[in-house]
Amino acid sequence: MKNAKLKIGLIAISSLGMVWGSSSAFAAEKELRCKAGGVKVECPTISEADAKKAAANFLKEADDMGEGKGGSTYGIAPFDYLTGVGKRADSDTKTYKTSSGYALNEKQTHAANKTELWDRVKKPSSDGVSDKSVYDQWTNNWSPKFGETKVAGADPNHGKTYYYSYCIACHGWLMHGDGPNAAELNPRPRTLTRGEYMQKKTNLELFRVIKGGGEAVSLSSSMPNWGNVLQDQDIWDIVAFIRAMQDVPPPKSVEEYLNPKSTFKPIKGDVDAMTASKSKDFKEMNEEVESDMTGRSPGSELVGGGYVDGGNRKKPTEVAVKVK
Amino acid sequence: MKSKYKFLVASALSASCLMYGVANAADKPEVIPGWQNAVPDGKDTPLHDPMILYSSGGVDGKMAIIGIPSFKTYRHLDCGVDTHEISFGGSNKGNKNGTPDGKYVYLNDKGANTICEFDIQTGYLARIIALPFPFGVHHIAMSTDGKNIFATGEYSGKMAKVDIKSGKTEVIDWGPSPSAPDYIDATRNGKYVFAGNYYHSTVGVFSTSPFKLIKEIPVGKNPHGTDINPESTMVVVSDKLSATMTVIDVDKLAVKKVIPTCAGPLHSVMDVYNKDGGSYRAGIDSPDGLTSKYVYESCFVADANVKVSYAKLEVVDEIPTHYRTGHISISPDNSYVMSLNKFSTGLFSPTGIIFPVNFEMWDAREKSPTYGKTLRIMPVDGEPHNAKGLMAYLVKDWTKGQAEKGGLIDKRVDLLDPPHRALSKRYFIPKETTPPGVKVVGGVKEIHMKAFSYGYIPRQVRVNKGDKVRLFATNIDKAAGITKNPDVTMGLTIYGPYGQRSNMDLPRGVTAVHEFTADIAGEYEIFCTHFCGPLHLEMRAAFFVDDPKKGPSNLAVGDYAEAQKMPGLLEEGQLTIAERAKGL
Repeated sequence: MKNAKLKIGLIAISSLGMVWGSSSAFAAEKELRCKAGGVKVECPTISEADAKKAAANFLKEADDMGEGKGGSTYGIAPFDYLTGVGKRADSDTKTYKTSSGYALNEKQTHAANKTELWDRVKKPSSDGVSDKSVYDQWTNNWSPKFGETKVAGADPNHGKTYYYSYCIACHGWLMHGDGPNAAELNPRPRTLTRGEYMQKKTNLELFRVIKGGGEAVSLSSSMPNWGNVLQDQDIWDIVAFIRAMQDVPPPKSVEEYLNPKSTFKPIKGDVDAMTASKSKDFKEMNEEVESDMTGRSPGSELVGGGYVDGGNRKKPTEVAVKVK
Repeated sequence: MKSKYKFLVASALSASCLMYGVANAADKPEVIPGWQNAVPDGKDTPLHDPMILYSSGGVDGKMAIIGIPSFKTYRHLDCGVDTHEISFGGSNKGNKNGTPDGKYVYLNDKGANTICEFDIQTGYLARIIALPFPFGVHHIAMSTDGKNIFATGEYSGKMAKVDIKSGKTEVIDWGPSPSAPDYIDATRNGKYVFAGNYYHSTVGVFSTSPFKLIKEIPVGKNPHGTDINPESTMVVVSDKLSATMTVIDVDKLAVKKVIPTCAGPLHSVMDVYNKDGGSYRAGIDSPDGLTSKYVYESCFVADANVKVSYAKLEVVDEIPTHYRTGHISISPDNSYVMSLNKFSTGLFSPTGIIFPVNFEMWDAREKSPTYGKTLRIMPVDGEPHNAKGLMAYLVKDWTKGQAEKGGLIDKRVDLLDPPHRALSKRYFIPKETTPPGVKVVGGVKEIHMKAFSYGYIPRQVRVNKGDKVRLFATNIDKAAGITKNPDVTMGLTIYGPYGQRSNMDLPRGVTAVHEFTADIAGEYEIFCTHFCGPLHLEMRAAFFVDDPKKGPSNLAVGDYAEAQKMPGLLEEGQLTIAERAKGL
């Protein structure tokens, strides 16, 4: 399915190229996209057109928000021309002379204590409100849930939270490499769901590229090193999330969105969060990646690779979701 | 000392009249709500502001002085590069406003790694305390006895205790890496310091003497504000990514309750009452036996402030704000909550490529007919971090010759300008499309950086000591990630000796260029100076200046003694070098 989409994208772009009479521009672009550090790499599956479309959609939501349409549900309350802020309530929309929504109206004996935005911040299902979109999105209540893991000792549910915080801007909501920044990056961000590529990559390699960045694996320098931000266990959780999303297509229903089916099969002899502490390969890789990382002060408490209990982080042995 | 006492008594008398007015307003329904500062007689007579807000200007490097409730800006005072937390001299007893003694107000500069000391009575910058490197101060908290300032070293994973008088500083490590201590508060009995760590997702508990880490308490993901109530029984922590407020029991040093509050909670502020249940008046009321009823938490993503009852430990109300509240402040009389908003999308007239952020004041008086409503909203300079208020009677009127009678100054007072100006060239060019990375052009190391929500590409940059550096920084965001504000502005500052040299705004559509010589070796964090979204704090990178003679820089290797002095930028004697001390 992804390949078909790619083909359409490629045809669309190359036909455009012919119209312009400079197909070399596309070739040059392809050349750039499929190379990193001068080395040929697997081309990301997302096409130029897809990347631009994703960025345009994102922008439209942002522009709607700027105009007060609030299409994204994130934030903007209707504008009050009388006071310059807030909701307009029952004021006259032509003259703006009546109640601003802040003062009392005839039926009220007291200004309303609760506001129309109340439901947006309440604990889900505590008050029976239907629109809890902001809270739900923020707490990832309305996103895939995983009862099992593909990486022993790592929890994809936690990895998901970090993914939605740190990775989403480039890799996109559905991990298709089409985040709002994707159109600005060359080469494009990886499509993380694509099984025929991801199945060949070991956990160790994924861990390395997340912790040490693209340069640690001679790929795009646009992929930052996250070892400055995330602890090893957090990175393992993200690896578990990526594994849990392999070959997951764009969902056709809410049901499908909430219950993704991964095709990932563990790679023989690979390291996971449970075995990492005993693995020589992991130790070697981790030392190499850590060697010039920020925030380190050799010979002091400020060394990396430690574990701190916090933010619902669990030690590999205590992670609740197991490999089935 | 004696004259000071007289001054307080005299001002207490005049203040009580003012306070009567304020208290009256709280009980009686106000006829004229809103935007005019009016008295009940309807004559629109301007009032003197009974309270004054000291606001940290953030990226403009200044402190603003603003009247409450007029919301009129009186003046701006220069501090440095990127200012963060306001802390009044005196004592931390009370709520976040503390118990100011009316002498000094402190403001930490994250960009320059310093603490500015302003004389409240003269209204001038009086002293700059240069903190030891590597540190990277994020936030400060006053001690109960007013002798020390506690500080978090966000960019090094360190914590500090500064002796205000001598500038001597005790620095301790808080490992393992990555470690980012950010918001800090001290108990009102002088016993503990609590600080959040957004990489650890914990709150660290430190004893004040000896200054050391006692324990780490796990909280929600990426905690932000860490605030203690006046009774010093509870610490409330805003768990940014978990959308909860973690309440810590100070006696047990354990989590008491986790309350779901709102999307993207960032900071909290609470009201404070004296022993008799009236609002607490610093300098008049006893600072003992203070209590608090409500804690107000800012919600960045939900565009709201929530009100949490200390008695029930649950959300009792929610107030919409406009938009993206960061810090939150309360007037000293508990009447108004100031929501320090990071975005004003669509609210004001444009005055440049960077849209102003705003302060929004809403009515927190439960008996007022305008309770919960926005009374004023004003565009503000810079990108304010925190703001704290004091009662106006603490600032004497020296303007009509009163200083001749004595009491204002009794020794030489240096009039300081911020020390970290220039030594660089900065300019904008049209948005460049050069791929991120480092290359040498004509003997100059050109660094091309991209800023996005939330990070920089490349994340780490290494140059050699003595290199001429030309740093190109481009905001590639279309809108802030996650929150989608279309008017997103980023910033880029390398903290410390390169602070002012690199301090640049990154609006959409242009590339900011900085040119300077990397003359001081060490590891210095690059950070975003505009609150671009919920993960703004996590938006960091690192600038390594390696001295070939010493090898690659890290937190242990670098010209850190040089960095502290800011050579050539300040006259000898005007800067208090905060010497590193062991066991203050």
